[in-house]
Amino acid sequence: MNTSRSFPVFAVVFAVVWAVTYVIAVQKNYALFTYHPALEEFGLLVEKPKEGPAMYWYGWLATAGIAALAAGLIACFVPERVTQRLWSGWSWTIPLGVMLVFGYLLKGYFLR
Amino acid sequence: MMVALLIIHALMAVTLLGAITHQTISVWLPMRKTAGSFVGRMRSVPAGSYVNAIIVLYLITAILGGIIYPEYRLSIRVVLQQLRLNVPNGLFELKEHFVAVGLGMLPAYWYFWRQPLANDYARTRAVLTAILAFIVWWSFLVGHILNNIRGFEV
Repeated sequence: MNTSRSFPVFAVVFAVVWAVTYVIAVQKNYALFTYHPALEEFGLLVEKPKEGPAMYWYGWLATAGIAALAAGLIACFVPERVTQRLWSGWSWTIPLGVMLVFGYLLKGYFLR
Repeated sequence: MMVALLIIHALMAVTLLGAITHQTISVWLPMRKTAGSFVGRMRSVPAGSYVNAIIVLYLITAILGGIIYPEYRLSIRVVLQQLRLNVPNGLFELKEHFVAVGLGMLPAYWYFWRQPLANDYARTRAVLTAILAFIVWWSFLVGHILNNIRGFEV
């Protein structure tokens, strides 16, 4: 693995997998951990609210981060003849698409 | 303590807003000649020099936002729901997701702005910058609106 050649592959794959995993984690609630702000307690994976609300945002970020890091590192070991065809534009088209998906998923806040 | 963190978060956001706005303008509306006017000077700044500062400021602002976020969930979001202020509530929901998506774009943003700038990546560089600028502006304005509704509750 050549680090200087692998980093663009890592960066593009990281951006894509982060965005996709994050939106799936939010939609399906695949949080790696839960935070209970009223109790100032963390819990592993998804827990129901105890006293006050439960916060999953940190857990979704952790899920997306681990998935993106793993996918990015794996992509670094893919042969260069395959990765050189990877379009740099995926690093913005997929995140932009995910942002539009969130706009659609949350449209209820603006239409009621 | 929370008020102090909120103020620092806002100051970091203002600094980030200035940096990324300068960079975005200089990428999308570059000026080749020496500029005399205020707008002209904004357009002619060396865009690449902002990259590291923008990444550090984005991370610091997001971390500070993450630290004060529980207070928002406990004290402010509940009130927004009780007052049926759905639009501000939805704007904030979008803010948290947009900021999260932006975090994932930072390694690519850093790489494609690496010196010497590759012409092959000019479009990718410009669009990544514009998306991050949109996220920062959205987050700043939404934070400002929510602060006007229910901020500094001490």
